[in-house]
Amino acid sequence: MQSPLYADLVLLLEIAIGLALLVGAWLARKRKFREHAWCQSVAVLLNLVIVAMVMVPTFREQVNPKIPAKLGRSYVGLPAAHGALGGIVELTALYILVAAGTKVLPEGLRIRRYKLWMRAVLVAWWLVLLLGAATYMRWYVPFPFRH
Amino acid sequence: MIRTFLRIAVLTFSLSPALTLLAAGSRYLGSTTQQGQEQTVEVKIDNFSFSPATLTIAAGTTVTWINRDDIPHTVVTSDDPKAFKSKALDTDDKFSFAFTKAGTYSYFCSIHPKMTGKVVVQ
Repeated sequence: MQSPLYADLVLLLEIAIGLALLVGAWLARKRKFREHAWCQSVAVLLNLVIVAMVMVPTFREQVNPKIPAKLGRSYVGLPAAHGALGGIVELTALYILVAAGTKVLPEGLRIRRYKLWMRAVLVAWWLVLLLGAATYMRWYVPFPFRH
Repeated sequence: MIRTFLRIAVLTFSLSPALTLLAAGSRYLGSTTQQGQEQTVEVKIDNFSFSPATLTIAAGTTVTWINRDDIPHTVVTSDDPKAFKSKALDTDDKFSFAFTKAGTYSYFCSIHPKMTGKVVVQ
């Protein structure tokens, strides 16, 4: 492995967050809605901190200068897809938190079909997590069959 | 028969140092170019490693790193203040630095910090 320590830590944290969201979904099925709300809120907010402090600066330094010229290369395309889809999913998850946990949104902007939205975001979250893991593998793991 | 065998053995034995020297020389010439007094030595970046990992050169030599890997790498000196620091090198990108002062310069890839190398300037 050729990865820096921070990349290893981020990968482990993101896997933990993904698992925590699954636990949160299970809590909702068990009708423990208060625990469900806490679990999902901590997971989404912790992810926001990691994205802002580690992923965005790294992306800006190492990937952004190569867009769009080298978007076809997997070491640019994978993190670009991860970043784009991940940004949408994180913003949607934050929107659900605000809509479900507060009353700051006007009536017209509130969510009615919570289950559908939450399930869709959970599936998309895991897709983003897999894209992130693929990005880690592409950038830091030397494969013997690469050459 | 025995005499022929002895002749071949003696010939091989006497020629082997010369052949070894010739091979070493061709390798050296293959990785350096000489223009007047200036010399350029190449370090290849491939499969997450610098090759050669340790390079010994004379003061005034320019070292050029070439990324032959299919992932970006950087070349950054470990010393502080930094004598040299490349941008992220894509495949086939190059970075050169002229070593004018004697000393040992350790360097690494800032994207993959376990990738390290050393330039010894005499």
